[in-house]
Amino acid sequence: MWKKEEVKSQPATDNSASAGNSASATSISNPKSDAAAPLSTNAAACISQGIRIKGEVSGSEDLFVDGYVEGKLNLSDTCCVTIGPNGEVKADIFAREVIVRGRVDGKIVGREKIQLWSTANIAGDLRTERLTIEDGAVLRGRVEIETGRPLGKNVEARGAAAGAVGKVASIPASSGSAAN
Amino acid sequence: MSFLNKLGIGVAAGAGREGSRPLAAASRPRSSGATPSAAVGATRAPELRESTRVSNGLKEFLWNLDGLGRGTLLDLGPAWQTTLSFFIERGFRVSSEDILRAWKEFLVEEEAKLRSAANASEELDVSPASRATRFLETNLRYPALSFDAILLWDLLDYFEPVVAKQVVACLTELLRPGGVVFAMFHSKKPEGFQRYRVVDSNTLQVIATPPLCPAQRVYQNREIQDLFVRYRTMKSFVGRDQLRESLFIR
Repeated sequence: MWKKEEVKSQPATDNSASAGNSASATSISNPKSDAAAPLSTNAAACISQGIRIKGEVSGSEDLFVDGYVEGKLNLSDTCCVTIGPNGEVKADIFAREVIVRGRVDGKIVGREKIQLWSTANIAGDLRTERLTIEDGAVLRGRVEIETGRPLGKNVEARGAAAGAVGKVASIPASSGSAAN
Repeated sequence: MSFLNKLGIGVAAGAGREGSRPLAAASRPRSSGATPSAAVGATRAPELRESTRVSNGLKEFLWNLDGLGRGTLLDLGPAWQTTLSFFIERGFRVSSEDILRAWKEFLVEEEAKLRSAANASEELDVSPASRATRFLETNLRYPALSFDAILLWDLLDYFEPVVAKQVVACLTELLRPGGVVFAMFHSKKPEGFQRYRVVDSNTLQVIATPPLCPAQRVYQNREIQDLFVRYRTMKSFVGRDQLRESLFIR
């Protein structure tokens, strides 16, 4: 009985800040997860609420931002950046995976994946291989999906099914890219 | 009791005075506290109702874009996963901008500006035309002729008429010749507020959501034609749900 609770709480933690595992799309569709998910337990570095940084932040560790960053966020190709629910970033973000739960004003390049949670508010272009958008996320910008493996019909069916139940599915690599 | 009523202190005295009100006002529920929803519990979270509808307009929209290759699309509704993936998988380059949410936020800002201007005894031009101009200074900022297709949904019903006119003019500048706009218009004033997302090539999911803005106007056919006067073709599909889907080809 106790082990069950531990198992339940684990995926949310992994999802918010894990760099090694690509978080599953269904796990972020849980509306309760916003309140329940621990914010940055696994993050190696944390810019917590109340901290303000102006300039360029670079590194090779996972980063959790729940404060204010203005300038540039440039992490190596192995890193995951999570913008927490209180986070406000006025900067271009470059990382392997970017998870947004707060506000971002700038371009986001997530080499492998970008996740937008329901509380995300983004004004800027997105560029990635895989994109996950939870209902309620606000996006104002272009979506550029980098070319990769071709899509089958299964993807469409999965997307439609996800929409029917109000959940999310990820947009995998496809032939689409940004407007312009 | 009738004697007390004549003196104006009877139990039904208030109701007697209400009798002179217009019928519509008198027939309104007297208190919101007696509504069933309040009885159920105010803390209960609103549930989003979802349904699907067959969309001939969407089918025709896609038919018009068939063979375009890597077209560019502007979605002016919320960023839905299914809608974006639907078009991206078909090779479109998609931009998303929830313009009605932006309009609501703009109105809030305008109200704040108006308050501060009143405190500072400054003058702020609050005419609808100037407000529309200010709104478009910060929204729909794309290069001219950027898009082959625009999903406008039913948003024009919720803008002030002057704003709607300027939004359409702005979209016309963004659309390439031969480009298509997919819009919807309510034949009656909508009771609720709905959002739409694409399920497949001829099905839309209709999602009832909390209203962002009240509906401003019900457009008649002639008014719609006037709005899109610069477009060469207009095609409409009227549904049983009082929703008219229209395609405009520039």
